[in-house]
Amino acid sequence: MSEIVLRADRLAKTFRLGFFRKRVEAVKEASFEVHRGEVFGYLGPNGSGKTTTLKMLMGLVFPTRGRAEVLGRKVPDREAKRRLGYLPESPYFYEYLTPEEFLDLAGALCDVPRAVRRKRADDLIARVGLDHARGRPLRKFSKGMLQRIGIAQALMGDPELVVLDEPMTGLDPIGRKEIRDLMIALKREGRTVVYSTHILPDVEMTCDRVAMIFAGTIRSVGPLSALLTARLLSTEIYLRRGVGQIPALPDGGQLRESADGMLVDLPEGADVDAYLRAALAASCSVISVTQRRESLEDLFMREAGSHKATS
Amino acid sequence: MNRIKAIAWNTFREAVRNKILYSLLFFAVLIIVSALAIGNLTLHEEVRTIRDIGLFGIDVFGVIIAIFVGVNLLYKELDLKTVYTILPKPLHRWEFVLGKWLGILLTLAVQMVVMGVVLAIVLAVEGSRFDVATAKAVWLLFVNVTLVTSIAVFFSAFSSPFLSGFFSLGCFVVGRSIPDIRALGDKLGPAAKAILKLFCDIAPKLYLFYPSGAIVGAEEASVHRQFVGLDYILTVSAYGVAYAVVVLVFAMLIFRKRDFV
Repeated sequence: MSEIVLRADRLAKTFRLGFFRKRVEAVKEASFEVHRGEVFGYLGPNGSGKTTTLKMLMGLVFPTRGRAEVLGRKVPDREAKRRLGYLPESPYFYEYLTPEEFLDLAGALCDVPRAVRRKRADDLIARVGLDHARGRPLRKFSKGMLQRIGIAQALMGDPELVVLDEPMTGLDPIGRKEIRDLMIALKREGRTVVYSTHILPDVEMTCDRVAMIFAGTIRSVGPLSALLTARLLSTEIYLRRGVGQIPALPDGGQLRESADGMLVDLPEGADVDAYLRAALAASCSVISVTQRRESLEDLFMREAGSHKATS
Repeated sequence: MNRIKAIAWNTFREAVRNKILYSLLFFAVLIIVSALAIGNLTLHEEVRTIRDIGLFGIDVFGVIIAIFVGVNLLYKELDLKTVYTILPKPLHRWEFVLGKWLGILLTLAVQMVVMGVVLAIVLAVEGSRFDVATAKAVWLLFVNVTLVTSIAVFFSAFSSPFLSGFFSLGCFVVGRSIPDIRALGDKLGPAAKAILKLFCDIAPKLYLFYPSGAIVGAEEASVHRQFVGLDYILTVSAYGVAYAVVVLVFAMLIFRKRDFV
Protein backbone atom coordinates (compact mmCIF):
# COMPACT_ATOMS: atom_id res chain seq x y z
CA MET A 1 0.00 0.00 0.00
CA SER A 2 1.44 3.39 -0.97
CA GLU A 3 2.11 6.14 1.55
CA ILE A 4 -0.81 8.29 2.65
CA VAL A 5 -0.01 11.97 2.11
CA LEU A 6 -3.34 13.48 3.10
CA ARG A 7 -5.94 12.17 5.51
CA ALA A 8 -9.31 13.54 6.55
CA ASP A 9 -10.59 11.57 9.52
CA ARG A 10 -14.25 12.23 10.33
CA LEU A 11 -13.78 15.96 9.73
CA ALA A 12 -16.75 18.14 10.57
CA LYS A 13 -17.31 21.88 10.61
CA THR A 14 -20.24 23.79 12.02
CA PHE A 15 -20.35 27.55 11.55
CA ARG A 16 -22.38 29.89 13.71
CA LEU A 17 -23.76 32.64 11.53
CA GLY A 18 -25.61 35.90 12.04
CA PHE A 19 -26.82 37.73 15.11
CA PHE A 20 -28.63 34.67 16.50
CA ARG A 21 -25.57 32.44 15.93
CA LYS A 22 -27.54 30.06 13.71
CA ARG A 23 -25.80 26.70 13.30
CA VAL A 24 -24.81 25.78 9.76
CA GLU A 25 -23.22 22.37 9.28
CA ALA A 26 -20.94 22.95 6.30
CA VAL A 27 -19.27 19.53 6.64
CA LYS A 28 -20.97 16.77 8.63
CA GLU A 29 -18.44 14.01 8.17
CA ALA A 30 -15.59 13.78 5.70
CA SER A 31 -13.20 10.83 5.78
CA PHE A 32 -10.83 9.96 2.96
CA GLU A 33 -7.18 9.32 2.28
CA VAL A 34 -4.97 10.38 -0.59
CA HIS A 35 -2.04 8.18 -1.59
CA ARG A 36 1.32 9.40 -2.80
CA GLY A 37 1.60 9.93 -6.54
CA GLU A 38 -2.09 9.86 -7.43
CA VAL A 39 -4.46 12.45 -8.84
CA PHE A 40 -7.38 12.60 -6.45
CA GLY A 41 -10.67 14.28 -7.33
CA TYR A 42 -12.92 15.71 -4.64
CA LEU A 43 -16.35 16.00 -6.21
CA GLY A 44 -19.58 17.51 -5.12
CA PRO A 45 -22.23 19.98 -6.19
CA ASN A 46 -21.95 23.67 -5.28
CA GLY A 47 -22.28 24.22 -1.54
CA SER A 48 -21.65 20.59 -0.67
CA GLY A 49 -18.65 21.34 1.60
CA LYS A 50 -15.71 20.76 -0.76
CA THR A 51 -13.98 24.09 -0.11
CA THR A 52 -14.57 23.93 3.65
CA THR A 53 -13.00 20.45 3.76
CA LEU A 54 -9.96 21.66 1.83
CA LYS A 55 -9.68 24.74 4.06
CA MET A 56 -9.66 22.48 7.12
CA LEU A 57 -6.86 20.45 5.53
CA MET A 58 -4.94 23.66 4.75
CA GLY A 59 -5.34 25.02 8.29
CA LEU A 60 -7.48 27.98 7.23
CA VAL A 61 -10.54 26.72 9.09
CA PHE A 62 -10.46 24.81 12.38
CA PRO A 63 -12.54 21.61 12.38
CA THR A 64 -15.35 21.30 14.92
CA ARG A 65 -14.63 17.57 15.11
CA GLY A 66 -12.24 15.10 13.52
CA ARG A 67 -8.61 15.18 12.54
CA ALA A 68 -6.81 16.49 9.48
CA GLU A 69 -3.34 15.23 8.54
CA VAL A 70 -1.07 16.42 5.75
CA LEU A 71 2.12 14.51 4.94
CA GLY A 72 1.82 12.54 8.17
CA ARG A 73 1.50 15.61 10.41
CA LYS A 74 -1.50 17.04 12.18
CA VAL A 75 -2.74 20.27 10.57
CA PRO A 76 -1.52 22.99 10.92
CA ASP A 77 2.16 22.06 10.74
CA ARG A 78 4.79 24.31 9.24
CA GLU A 79 7.03 21.48 8.04
CA ALA A 80 4.09 19.88 6.22
CA LYS A 81 3.14 23.25 4.72
CA ARG A 82 6.67 23.59 3.37
CA ARG A 83 6.06 20.48 1.21
CA LEU A 84 2.62 21.54 0.08
CA GLY A 85 1.24 23.90 -2.56
CA TYR A 86 -2.31 25.26 -2.49
CA LEU A 87 -4.50 27.16 -4.91
CA PRO A 88 -7.61 28.63 -3.26
CA GLU A 89 -11.00 28.79 -4.97
CA SER A 90 -11.51 31.90 -7.17
CA PRO A 91 -8.11 33.22 -6.16
CA TYR A 92 -7.48 36.90 -5.64
CA PHE A 93 -3.89 38.02 -5.44
CA TYR A 94 -2.06 41.25 -4.71
CA GLU A 95 -3.19 43.20 -7.75
CA TYR A 96 -0.34 45.72 -7.62
CA LEU A 97 2.32 43.01 -8.06
CA THR A 98 3.71 41.70 -11.33
CA PRO A 99 3.86 37.89 -11.82
CA GLU A 100 7.61 37.96 -11.08
CA GLU A 101 7.10 39.91 -7.83
CA PHE A 102 4.22 37.71 -6.74
CA LEU A 103 6.11 34.48 -7.35
CA ASP A 104 9.14 35.93 -5.58
CA LEU A 105 6.94 36.64 -2.55
CA ALA A 106 5.49 33.10 -2.67
CA GLY A 107 9.00 31.66 -2.91
CA ALA A 108 10.29 33.80 -0.03
CA LEU A 109 7.42 32.56 2.16
CA CYS A 110 8.42 28.98 1.28
CA ASP A 111 12.03 29.72 2.32
CA VAL A 112 13.31 29.28 -1.22
CA PRO A 113 16.75 30.99 -1.59
CA ARG A 114 16.66 34.18 -3.64
CA ALA A 115 18.72 32.87 -6.59
CA VAL A 116 16.63 29.68 -6.84
CA ARG A 117 13.32 31.49 -6.67
CA ARG A 118 14.26 33.87 -9.45
CA LYS A 119 15.02 30.94 -11.76
CA ARG A 120 12.01 28.95 -10.59
CA ALA A 121 9.65 31.91 -11.04
CA ASP A 122 10.99 32.35 -14.55
CA ASP A 123 10.43 28.67 -15.39
CA LEU A 124 6.95 28.57 -13.85
CA ILE A 125 5.79 31.71 -15.68
CA ALA A 126 6.78 29.99 -18.92
CA ARG A 127 5.26 26.66 -17.83
CA VAL A 128 1.79 28.14 -17.12
CA GLY A 129 1.88 30.08 -20.39
CA LEU A 130 2.22 33.61 -19.02
CA ASP A 131 5.38 34.63 -20.84
CA HIS A 132 3.46 37.39 -22.60
CA ALA A 133 2.30 38.86 -19.28
CA ARG A 134 5.69 39.39 -17.64
CA GLY A 135 5.92 42.79 -15.94
CA ARG A 136 2.16 43.34 -16.11
CA PRO A 137 0.38 44.02 -12.78
CA LEU A 138 -2.00 41.22 -11.73
CA ARG A 139 -4.98 43.61 -11.75
CA LYS A 140 -4.78 43.51 -15.55
CA PHE A 141 -5.00 39.70 -15.63
CA SER A 142 -8.07 37.82 -16.88
CA LYS A 143 -9.65 35.14 -14.70
CA GLY A 144 -7.89 32.39 -16.60
CA MET A 145 -4.53 34.15 -16.24
CA LEU A 146 -5.09 34.56 -12.50
CA GLN A 147 -5.84 30.85 -12.25
CA ARG A 148 -2.54 30.09 -14.01
CA ILE A 149 -0.46 32.40 -11.85
CA GLY A 150 -2.26 30.84 -8.86
CA ILE A 151 -1.06 27.41 -9.91
CA ALA A 152 2.43 28.79 -10.44
CA GLN A 153 2.53 30.22 -6.90
CA ALA A 154 1.37 26.85 -5.55
CA LEU A 155 4.40 25.24 -7.24
CA MET A 156 6.98 27.82 -6.07
CA GLY A 157 7.96 25.73 -3.04
CA ASP A 158 8.52 22.66 -5.28
CA PRO A 159 5.81 20.78 -3.34
CA GLU A 160 5.22 17.03 -3.08
CA LEU A 161 1.51 17.59 -2.65
CA VAL A 162 -0.49 20.09 -4.72
CA VAL A 163 -4.04 20.95 -3.59
CA LEU A 164 -6.16 22.88 -6.08
CA ASP A 165 -9.61 24.16 -5.15
CA GLU A 166 -11.80 24.35 -8.27
CA PRO A 167 -8.87 24.93 -10.66
CA MET A 168 -11.08 24.72 -13.77
CA THR A 169 -13.59 27.37 -12.71
CA GLY A 170 -13.81 30.23 -15.16
CA LEU A 171 -11.56 28.62 -17.74
CA ASP A 172 -12.45 28.15 -21.39
CA PRO A 173 -12.08 24.65 -22.95
CA ILE A 174 -8.50 25.36 -24.00
CA GLY A 175 -7.59 26.60 -20.54
CA ARG A 176 -9.24 23.54 -18.96
CA LYS A 177 -7.26 21.22 -21.19
CA GLU A 178 -4.03 23.00 -20.30
CA ILE A 179 -4.75 22.63 -16.58
CA ARG A 180 -5.62 18.95 -17.08
CA ASP A 181 -2.36 18.42 -18.95
CA LEU A 182 -0.50 20.24 -16.20
CA MET A 183 -2.02 17.99 -13.53
CA ILE A 184 -1.03 14.89 -15.46
CA ALA A 185 2.49 16.33 -15.89
CA LEU A 186 2.69 16.99 -12.14
CA LYS A 187 1.72 13.37 -11.50
CA ARG A 188 4.45 12.21 -13.90
CA GLU A 189 6.94 14.27 -11.88
CA GLY A 190 5.96 12.18 -8.85
CA ARG A 191 3.78 14.80 -7.17
CA THR A 192 0.40 14.07 -5.64
CA VAL A 193 -2.46 16.22 -6.91
CA VAL A 194 -5.73 16.77 -5.09
CA TYR A 195 -8.39 18.92 -6.66
CA SER A 196 -11.99 19.75 -6.06
CA THR A 197 -14.43 20.22 -8.90
CA HIS A 198 -17.93 19.63 -10.13
CA ILE A 199 -16.84 19.34 -13.77
CA LEU A 200 -17.13 15.57 -14.19
CA PRO A 201 -15.57 14.99 -17.64
CA ASP A 202 -12.30 16.50 -16.33
CA VAL A 203 -12.31 14.03 -13.45
CA GLU A 204 -12.81 11.04 -15.73
CA MET A 205 -9.83 12.17 -17.78
CA THR A 206 -7.41 12.86 -14.94
CA CYS A 207 -8.26 11.18 -11.63
CA ASP A 208 -7.04 7.87 -10.25
CA ARG A 209 -9.41 8.02 -7.30
CA VAL A 210 -12.27 10.23 -6.21
CA ALA A 211 -14.37 11.12 -3.19
CA MET A 212 -17.90 12.45 -3.55
CA ILE A 213 -19.47 14.75 -1.02
CA PHE A 214 -23.15 15.68 -0.85
CA ALA A 215 -24.54 18.16 1.69
CA GLY A 216 -21.47 17.81 3.90
CA THR A 217 -21.32 14.01 3.93
CA ILE A 218 -18.96 11.83 1.90
CA ARG A 219 -20.92 9.23 -0.08
CA SER A 220 -18.25 7.34 -2.05
CA VAL A 221 -14.48 7.09 -2.03
CA GLY A 222 -12.33 4.93 -4.27
CA PRO A 223 -10.87 4.31 -7.70
CA LEU A 224 -13.20 5.32 -10.51
CA SER A 225 -13.05 1.80 -11.96
CA ALA A 226 -14.33 0.36 -8.67
CA LEU A 227 -17.04 2.96 -8.15
CA LEU A 228 -18.52 2.75 -11.64
CA THR A 229 -20.55 -0.44 -12.05
CA ALA A 230 -19.73 -2.56 -15.08
CA ARG A 231 -23.38 -3.26 -15.80
CA LEU A 232 -24.84 -2.30 -19.13
CA LEU A 233 -27.24 0.62 -18.84
CA SER A 234 -28.54 0.70 -22.41
CA THR A 235 -27.61 0.07 -26.05
CA GLU A 236 -27.69 2.91 -28.55
CA ILE A 237 -28.30 1.98 -32.19
CA TYR A 238 -27.87 4.59 -34.87
CA LEU A 239 -29.99 3.80 -37.93
CA ARG A 240 -30.72 5.29 -41.32
CA ARG A 241 -34.31 4.81 -42.45
CA GLY A 242 -35.03 2.24 -45.20
CA VAL A 243 -38.14 1.60 -47.29
CA GLY A 244 -39.97 -0.44 -44.64
CA GLN A 245 -41.44 0.43 -41.24
CA ILE A 246 -39.12 1.01 -38.32
CA PRO A 247 -39.40 -1.95 -35.92
CA ALA A 248 -41.52 -1.35 -32.82
CA LEU A 249 -39.51 -0.37 -29.73
CA PRO A 250 -39.42 -2.70 -26.73
CA ASP A 251 -40.69 -1.41 -23.34
CA GLY A 252 -38.52 1.46 -22.09
CA GLY A 253 -36.99 2.03 -25.53
CA GLN A 254 -36.63 5.56 -26.92
CA LEU A 255 -36.31 6.93 -30.40
CA ARG A 256 -34.88 10.31 -31.41
CA GLU A 257 -34.90 11.43 -35.04
CA SER A 258 -32.36 13.74 -36.60
CA ALA A 259 -31.70 14.98 -40.14
CA ASP A 260 -29.20 12.16 -40.73
CA GLY A 261 -31.04 9.28 -39.12
CA MET A 262 -32.47 7.93 -35.91
CA LEU A 263 -31.01 7.11 -32.54
CA VAL A 264 -32.67 4.14 -30.86
CA ASP A 265 -31.98 3.67 -27.18
CA LEU A 266 -32.73 0.12 -26.01
CA PRO A 267 -32.93 -0.46 -22.26
CA GLU A 268 -30.91 -3.02 -20.31
CA GLY A 269 -32.24 -6.54 -21.02
CA ALA A 270 -33.75 -5.74 -24.40
CA ASP A 271 -33.09 -8.25 -27.21
CA VAL A 272 -30.67 -6.17 -29.27
CA ASP A 273 -30.05 -8.93 -31.85
CA ALA A 274 -33.77 -9.29 -32.57
CA TYR A 275 -34.16 -5.52 -32.94
CA LEU A 276 -31.19 -5.32 -35.31
CA ARG A 277 -32.60 -8.20 -37.43
CA ALA A 278 -35.95 -6.43 -37.64
CA ALA A 279 -34.27 -3.17 -38.60
CA LEU A 280 -32.26 -4.83 -41.36
CA ALA A 281 -35.39 -6.62 -42.59
CA ALA A 282 -37.01 -3.16 -42.89
CA SER A 283 -34.09 -2.10 -45.13
CA CYS A 284 -32.68 0.24 -42.44
CA SER A 285 -28.92 0.84 -42.50
CA VAL A 286 -27.21 0.27 -39.16
CA ILE A 287 -24.62 3.03 -38.73
CA SER A 288 -23.42 2.15 -35.24
CA VAL A 289 -24.20 0.11 -32.13
CA THR A 290 -22.88 1.41 -28.81
CA GLN A 291 -23.18 -0.17 -25.37
CA ARG A 292 -23.62 2.51 -22.70
CA ARG A 293 -22.17 1.62 -19.31
CA GLU A 294 -22.29 3.75 -16.15
CA SER A 295 -20.37 7.03 -16.46
CA LEU A 296 -19.13 9.25 -13.67
CA GLU A 297 -22.11 11.49 -14.32
CA ASP A 298 -24.47 8.54 -13.83
CA LEU A 299 -22.69 7.64 -10.60
CA PHE A 300 -22.81 11.24 -9.44
CA MET A 301 -26.54 11.47 -10.14
CA ARG A 302 -27.14 8.06 -8.52
CA GLU A 303 -25.30 9.14 -5.37
CA ALA A 304 -27.08 12.50 -5.33
CA GLY A 305 -30.41 10.71 -5.69
CA SER A 306 -29.67 8.20 -2.96
CA HIS A 307 -28.49 11.03 -0.69
CA LYS A 308 -31.77 12.88 -1.24
CA ALA A 309 -33.71 9.72 -0.50
CA THR A 310 -31.90 9.08 2.80
CA SER A 311 -31.88 12.67 4.08
CA MET B 1 12.87 36.06 9.83
CA ASN B 2 12.94 36.01 6.02
CA ARG B 3 9.23 35.24 5.93
CA ILE B 4 8.42 38.19 8.22
CA LYS B 5 10.66 40.38 6.08
CA ALA B 6 8.85 39.22 2.93
CA ILE B 7 5.43 40.07 4.41
CA ALA B 8 6.71 43.43 5.73
CA TRP B 9 8.26 44.36 2.39
CA ASN B 10 5.09 43.39 0.53
CA THR B 11 2.99 45.47 2.94
CA PHE B 12 5.28 48.45 2.37
CA ARG B 13 5.08 47.93 -1.39
CA GLU B 14 1.27 47.81 -1.22
CA ALA B 15 1.16 51.01 0.84
CA VAL B 16 3.50 52.99 -1.40
CA ARG B 17 1.45 51.98 -4.46
CA ASN B 18 -1.72 53.33 -2.81
CA LYS B 19 -2.76 56.69 -4.26
CA ILE B 20 -4.84 57.68 -1.21
CA LEU B 21 -1.71 57.60 0.90
CA TYR B 22 -0.02 60.05 -1.43
CA SER B 23 -3.02 62.37 -1.14
CA LEU B 24 -2.71 62.32 2.66
CA LEU B 25 1.03 62.94 2.45
CA PHE B 26 0.40 65.78 0.01
CA PHE B 27 -1.96 67.50 2.47
CA ALA B 28 0.54 67.00 5.32
CA VAL B 29 3.27 68.60 3.23
CA LEU B 30 0.85 71.38 2.22
CA ILE B 31 0.15 72.22 5.87
CA ILE B 32 3.86 72.28 6.73
CA VAL B 33 4.64 74.51 3.74
CA SER B 34 1.66 76.76 4.50
CA ALA B 35 3.29 77.41 7.90
CA LEU B 36 5.74 79.54 5.94
CA ALA B 37 2.97 81.89 4.84
CA ILE B 38 1.23 81.87 8.24
CA GLY B 39 4.55 82.54 9.98
CA ASN B 40 5.03 85.63 7.86
CA LEU B 41 1.75 87.01 9.19
CA THR B 42 3.11 87.00 12.76
CA LEU B 43 5.36 89.57 14.35
CA HIS B 44 8.85 88.09 14.84
CA GLU B 45 7.36 84.65 15.63
CA GLU B 46 7.87 83.13 12.20
CA VAL B 47 10.12 80.25 13.26
CA ARG B 48 8.00 79.43 16.30
CA THR B 49 4.84 79.31 14.16
CA ILE B 50 6.48 77.18 11.49
CA ARG B 51 7.78 74.70 14.06
CA ASP B 52 4.41 74.49 15.85
CA ILE B 53 2.35 74.09 12.69
CA GLY B 54 4.91 71.69 11.23
CA LEU B 55 4.86 69.42 14.27
CA PHE B 56 1.06 69.66 14.38
CA GLY B 57 0.91 68.55 10.73
CA ILE B 58 3.28 65.64 11.35
CA ASP B 59 1.29 64.62 14.44
CA VAL B 60 -2.20 64.77 12.94
CA PHE B 61 -1.34 63.31 9.55
CA GLY B 62 0.93 60.71 11.14
CA VAL B 63 -2.01 59.47 13.22
CA ILE B 64 -4.49 59.66 10.31
CA ILE B 65 -2.12 57.69 8.06
CA ALA B 66 -1.39 55.19 10.88
CA ILE B 67 -5.10 54.54 11.40
CA PHE B 68 -5.87 54.46 7.68
CA VAL B 69 -3.06 52.06 6.83
CA GLY B 70 -3.34 49.99 10.03
CA VAL B 71 -7.06 49.47 9.64
CA ASN B 72 -7.05 48.79 5.91
CA LEU B 73 -4.03 46.67 5.16
CA LEU B 74 -4.92 43.73 7.41
CA TYR B 75 -8.64 43.94 6.68
CA LYS B 76 -8.00 44.01 2.93
CA GLU B 77 -6.11 40.73 3.20
CA LEU B 78 -9.22 39.17 4.72
CA ASP B 79 -11.78 40.93 2.56
CA LEU B 80 -10.00 40.24 -0.73
CA LYS B 81 -9.04 36.74 0.50
CA THR B 82 -5.37 37.17 -0.40
CA VAL B 83 -4.75 35.66 3.02
CA TYR B 84 -6.01 32.29 1.68
CA THR B 85 -2.95 32.11 -0.53
CA ILE B 86 -0.49 33.30 2.10
CA LEU B 87 -1.43 31.39 5.26
CA PRO B 88 -1.14 27.87 3.76
CA LYS B 89 2.50 28.75 3.08
CA PRO B 90 4.96 27.61 5.76
CA LEU B 91 4.56 30.59 8.05
CA HIS B 92 2.88 31.02 11.42
CA ARG B 93 -0.10 33.28 11.68
CA TRP B 94 1.72 35.47 14.22
CA GLU B 95 4.53 35.93 11.68
CA PHE B 96 1.96 37.24 9.22
CA VAL B 97 0.55 39.79 11.72
CA LEU B 98 4.05 40.86 12.79
CA GLY B 99 5.12 41.23 9.15
CA LYS B 100 2.07 43.38 8.38
CA TRP B 101 2.76 45.55 11.43
CA LEU B 102 6.43 46.02 10.56
CA GLY B 103 5.50 46.86 6.97
CA ILE B 104 3.06 49.50 8.16
CA LEU B 105 5.70 50.92 10.53
CA LEU B 106 8.21 51.09 7.68
CA THR B 107 5.62 52.98 5.61
CA LEU B 108 4.98 55.39 8.48
CA ALA B 109 8.69 55.86 9.12
CA VAL B 110 9.22 56.86 5.48
CA GLN B 111 6.22 59.21 5.63
CA MET B 112 7.51 60.85 8.80
CA VAL B 113 10.99 61.24 7.32
CA VAL B 114 9.43 62.95 4.27
CA MET B 115 7.38 65.27 6.50
CA GLY B 116 10.45 65.93 8.69
CA VAL B 117 12.58 66.79 5.65
CA VAL B 118 9.89 69.19 4.39
CA LEU B 119 9.78 70.83 7.84
CA ALA B 120 13.59 71.13 7.83
CA ILE B 121 13.50 72.79 4.39
CA VAL B 122 10.76 75.21 5.49
CA LEU B 123 12.76 76.07 8.64
CA ALA B 124 15.88 76.60 6.55
CA VAL B 125 14.00 78.95 4.24
CA GLU B 126 13.12 80.99 7.33
CA GLY B 127 16.78 80.98 8.42
CA SER B 128 16.37 78.47 11.24
CA ARG B 129 17.30 74.78 11.53
CA PHE B 130 15.84 71.41 12.40
CA ASP B 131 17.41 71.24 15.87
CA VAL B 132 17.73 68.42 18.42
CA ALA B 133 14.54 69.42 20.25
CA THR B 134 12.54 69.20 17.01
CA ALA B 135 14.13 65.84 16.21
CA LYS B 136 13.17 64.56 19.68
CA ALA B 137 9.61 65.79 19.17
CA VAL B 138 9.36 64.01 15.78
CA TRP B 139 10.74 60.81 17.33
CA LEU B 140 8.08 60.94 20.08
CA LEU B 141 5.42 61.41 17.42
CA PHE B 142 6.76 58.33 15.64
CA VAL B 143 6.52 56.24 18.83
CA ASN B 144 2.99 57.63 19.16
CA VAL B 145 2.02 56.38 15.68
CA THR B 146 3.69 53.03 16.42
CA LEU B 147 1.28 52.56 19.30
CA VAL B 148 -1.70 53.84 17.32
CA THR B 149 -0.80 51.41 14.50
CA SER B 150 -0.85 48.47 16.94
CA ILE B 151 -4.27 49.54 18.18
CA ALA B 152 -5.55 49.84 14.59
CA VAL B 153 -4.15 46.40 13.66
CA PHE B 154 -5.69 44.93 16.83
CA PHE B 155 -9.18 46.19 15.98
CA SER B 156 -8.87 45.22 12.33
CA ALA B 157 -8.12 41.62 13.38
CA PHE B 158 -11.80 41.19 14.27
CA SER B 159 -13.90 44.11 13.01
CA SER B 160 -14.70 46.10 9.87
CA PRO B 161 -12.49 49.02 8.72
CA PHE B 162 -15.15 51.56 9.75
CA LEU B 163 -15.45 50.21 13.29
CA SER B 164 -11.70 49.65 13.56
CA GLY B 165 -11.05 53.22 12.44
CA PHE B 166 -13.68 54.55 14.82
CA PHE B 167 -12.31 52.60 17.81
CA SER B 168 -8.70 53.47 16.97
CA LEU B 169 -9.53 57.17 16.70
CA GLY B 170 -11.45 56.90 19.98
CA CYS B 171 -8.40 55.35 21.67
CA PHE B 172 -6.22 58.14 20.28
CA VAL B 173 -8.52 60.90 21.59
CA VAL B 174 -8.84 59.20 24.99
CA GLY B 175 -5.07 58.58 25.17
CA ARG B 176 -4.34 62.24 24.53
CA SER B 177 -7.00 63.40 27.01
CA ILE B 178 -6.04 61.30 30.03
CA PRO B 179 -4.90 64.29 32.17
CA ASP B 180 -8.28 65.95 31.49
CA ILE B 181 -10.17 62.73 32.26
CA ARG B 182 -8.23 62.40 35.53
CA ALA B 183 -9.06 66.00 36.40
CA LEU B 184 -12.71 65.26 35.65
CA GLY B 185 -12.54 62.23 37.97
CA ASP B 186 -11.31 64.42 40.82
CA LYS B 187 -14.54 66.36 40.62
CA LEU B 188 -16.74 63.22 40.78
CA GLY B 189 -17.68 60.85 43.58
CA PRO B 190 -15.30 58.11 44.84
CA ALA B 191 -16.88 55.32 42.76
CA ALA B 192 -16.79 57.27 39.49
CA LYS B 193 -13.29 58.47 40.34
CA ALA B 194 -12.12 54.87 40.88
CA ILE B 195 -13.63 53.75 37.57
CA LEU B 196 -12.06 56.65 35.69
CA LYS B 197 -8.72 55.97 37.38
CA LEU B 198 -8.83 52.32 36.28
CA PHE B 199 -9.82 53.43 32.78
CA CYS B 200 -6.92 55.91 32.66
CA ASP B 201 -4.50 53.27 33.94
CA ILE B 202 -5.45 50.84 31.17
CA ALA B 203 -5.78 53.35 28.29
CA PRO B 204 -2.66 54.15 26.24
CA LYS B 205 -1.02 57.26 27.67
CA LEU B 206 -0.57 58.96 24.34
CA TYR B 207 -0.32 62.40 25.95
CA LEU B 208 3.21 61.42 27.02
CA PHE B 209 4.32 61.72 23.40
CA TYR B 210 3.25 65.35 23.26
CA PRO B 211 4.97 66.57 26.40
CA SER B 212 4.23 69.80 28.23
CA GLY B 213 5.66 71.28 31.43
CA ALA B 214 2.71 69.94 33.43
CA ILE B 215 3.30 66.39 32.16
CA VAL B 216 7.02 66.21 32.82
CA GLY B 217 6.79 68.09 36.14
CA ALA B 218 8.93 70.97 34.95
CA GLU B 219 8.22 74.61 34.48
CA GLU B 220 8.37 74.24 30.76
CA ALA B 221 8.75 71.60 28.05
CA SER B 222 8.80 73.33 24.72
CA VAL B 223 10.63 72.64 21.48
CA HIS B 224 11.29 76.37 21.29
CA ARG B 225 13.30 76.59 24.50
CA GLN B 226 13.67 73.80 27.08
CA PHE B 227 12.51 70.43 25.76
CA VAL B 228 12.52 67.02 27.49
CA GLY B 229 15.81 65.22 28.17
CA LEU B 230 17.08 61.95 26.73
CA ASP B 231 16.00 59.98 29.83
CA TYR B 232 12.38 61.07 29.27
CA ILE B 233 12.61 60.14 25.59
CA LEU B 234 13.97 56.68 26.43
CA THR B 235 11.44 55.98 29.20
CA VAL B 236 8.46 57.10 27.16
CA SER B 237 9.72 55.25 24.06
CA ALA B 238 10.09 52.06 26.11
CA TYR B 239 6.54 52.51 27.41
CA GLY B 240 5.18 53.13 23.91
CA VAL B 241 6.94 50.14 22.36
CA ALA B 242 5.98 47.84 25.27
CA TYR B 243 2.32 48.90 25.03
CA ALA B 244 2.38 48.47 21.25
CA VAL B 245 3.86 44.96 21.58
CA VAL B 246 1.25 43.90 24.17
CA VAL B 247 -1.59 45.13 21.92
CA LEU B 248 0.02 43.37 18.96
CA VAL B 249 0.23 40.11 20.93
CA PHE B 250 -3.52 40.36 21.57
CA ALA B 251 -4.06 40.92 17.83
CA MET B 252 -1.94 37.80 17.12
CA LEU B 253 -3.95 35.72 19.60
CA ILE B 254 -7.22 36.75 17.96
CA PHE B 255 -5.79 36.05 14.51
CA ARG B 256 -4.48 32.66 15.63
CA LYS B 257 -7.95 31.40 16.44
CA ARG B 258 -9.74 32.83 13.42
CA ASP B 259 -11.50 30.76 10.79
CA PHE B 260 -10.90 32.08 7.28
CA VAL B 261 -14.22 31.21 5.71
